[in-house]
Amino acid sequence: MLTIKNLHARVEQQNILNGLNLTIKPGEVHAIMGPNGAGKSTLGYVLSGREGYEVLDGQVDFQGHDLLDMDIEERARDGLFLAFQYPVEIPGVSNMEFMKESVNTMRQHRGEEPLTAAEFLKKAKEACKQVQLPLDFLKRGVNEGFSGGEKKRNEIMQMILLEPKLCILDESDSGLDVDALQVVANGVNSQRDGKRSFVVITHYQRLLDYIEPDFVHILANGKVVKSGDASLAKQVEKEGYAFLGLDTSEEANA
Amino acid sequence: MSAWLQQVIDRGQAMNDWLSPVRMKALEELATTAWPTRRTERWKYTSLSAVEQLELSTTASATHASVERISGLDSLDLVFVDGVLQTDLAMLQLPAGLQIHSLHSAPAVQQVIATSMFSQIKPRHHLFGLVNDALASDIVFIDIENGHAIEPAIRIINQSTADHESHQRVLVRLGNQAKATIIEQAEGEQSSLSTSYSEFDLGDQAQLDHYRFAMQTQQAIAIGGCHFCLHDAAALNSTLIGYGSELSRTDIDIIHNGEHAKAKLNAIYLLAESEHFDLHTTIEHAKPNGTTEENVRGIVGDKANAVFNGRIHIHRDAQKTLAELNNRNLLLSRRGQINTKPELEIYADDVQCAHGATVAEIEEEALYYLRSRGIPRSKALVMLNYGFIQELINQMPNQQLAQWLEPQLRARFKEMEVR
Repeated sequence: MLTIKNLHARVEQQNILNGLNLTIKPGEVHAIMGPNGAGKSTLGYVLSGREGYEVLDGQVDFQGHDLLDMDIEERARDGLFLAFQYPVEIPGVSNMEFMKESVNTMRQHRGEEPLTAAEFLKKAKEACKQVQLPLDFLKRGVNEGFSGGEKKRNEIMQMILLEPKLCILDESDSGLDVDALQVVANGVNSQRDGKRSFVVITHYQRLLDYIEPDFVHILANGKVVKSGDASLAKQVEKEGYAFLGLDTSEEANA
Repeated sequence: MSAWLQQVIDRGQAMNDWLSPVRMKALEELATTAWPTRRTERWKYTSLSAVEQLELSTTASATHASVERISGLDSLDLVFVDGVLQTDLAMLQLPAGLQIHSLHSAPAVQQVIATSMFSQIKPRHHLFGLVNDALASDIVFIDIENGHAIEPAIRIINQSTADHESHQRVLVRLGNQAKATIIEQAEGEQSSLSTSYSEFDLGDQAQLDHYRFAMQTQQAIAIGGCHFCLHDAAALNSTLIGYGSELSRTDIDIIHNGEHAKAKLNAIYLLAESEHFDLHTTIEHAKPNGTTEENVRGIVGDKANAVFNGRIHIHRDAQKTLAELNNRNLLLSRRGQINTKPELEIYADDVQCAHGATVAEIEEEALYYLRSRGIPRSKALVMLNYGFIQELINQMPNQQLAQWLEPQLRARFKEMEVR
């Protein structure tokens, strides 16, 4: 699905990723943990193609294509989805218009007929229900005036509607209470079908209580310093990152 | 004085009809008016050099208008081509309470009312308004009797064809408690000059939904204005949509001449290439307890140039006035230019008045967000642009019109995209 080799990247003249390697196979769930500034969010942005994130070295193969050579929208259409840590508010563009455009762009790319307004509405309503957002959210501006938790649930709703192949969840648990956390986790779990892969970026083990990962990677100073199974996350929860013997003095800067 | 203005005066002197006394007055003023330069405050950011050099035909073109109906809209269409009324007014099926006459067909009573309005609401400082006073020939007078709500929208279409100069004028009187919807729609893209002015008198508790679509582009020079006089508890809801052309200028005046009048003015301008659009609005609160809400939003692409001057003048007696003016701009290119200036002049001490003006760029983050969901960049830009004005479109009282506009505006955004 995704193979990252020796990825180096920088933002605003600062090297953030320093030789990151990661291989994700179809159907796998990988959790990425790590202290602040380890490069977790940067990884998500670099993979999605955000401007300002400069790749210095390395390769990323996504389903046999050179991911780094693709535009932001091409990556999305080929099935890469990033659930944002801080989803953007876009007043004036309704969630409905946004998602319909997005879903139909994807369908077109897959050679499918675009959904009619009625067909889309039906799907959107179901997805809305699944993440427990009131239906009037569809009419409102994208994320406009949404609470933190509502924004996160909106991301999951988009994920459900877009049916991506690889989902990167960037701290989709941050700022959520237990109920909202469960909604997000259930949304994610409902999309696990043995083929779709997930990268779950998180600070805390608690999300992993609900979304059970196949692999856990600890990211520090821009590379994977330790990989293991779900028990690694529990160890981090108990002991912090100290047991890894990391120099954390510069992390706040990164 | 420019050569162009001199020939205007010469031609104006040859006009001979029942409005001649008013026309003469305008000519006298024109003869003593200095031709505006960039040092003239009202024309500071808009050069008239393109007008000075014009040599256009002033005879009517032989073109016949083809006007598309607006789907779902019940309308009475009055079509002008190069200032000449093409519609046979006698053939219109008018509902009770509505009269529409031209200068040539108006009966004596209507002539009296029209004379009392002509150039009375429009302030005298609009130079091209005076030109229009002098030269507009097919003046249309729309009269709505007291207490009549006119169901079909009255739609006035003004088309400019290549190499023509034209002057078009509309007078509208809404009697007390009368209600109407009036749409003024102007089109043209070839080398031409049109002046188009309209004056509206809203009686006590009259309600007017007004739309002005100044959609001339490219070489079609368009100069005009809408001027409203509001009597006691009259309500005006006006929406202006302006495209830019080589020179496009609109002046709007709203005069609160009665108490408890309500004015809502939403204006949108969308400029591409090297187009120029200049909007001057003046709200005169002459009487107490008036309300004004003015929202102006503009999107400026490429090398285009937008000018907005929004003046609110609250007279000494206009206590308890509520007035808000807001101008927001989106600049799509580093080469575009926006000059915006809110002006408040307040002489009453018990009023609430607010204003604001901003210029922003497309948020890269929003663009990235949309693209990260597979939406192509150009489409994402159109969505963001439309989103910027959508709020005002949604506020249009007539949503059939909004639906008719939407695809046109989206197409316009594609032209505005800076690659």
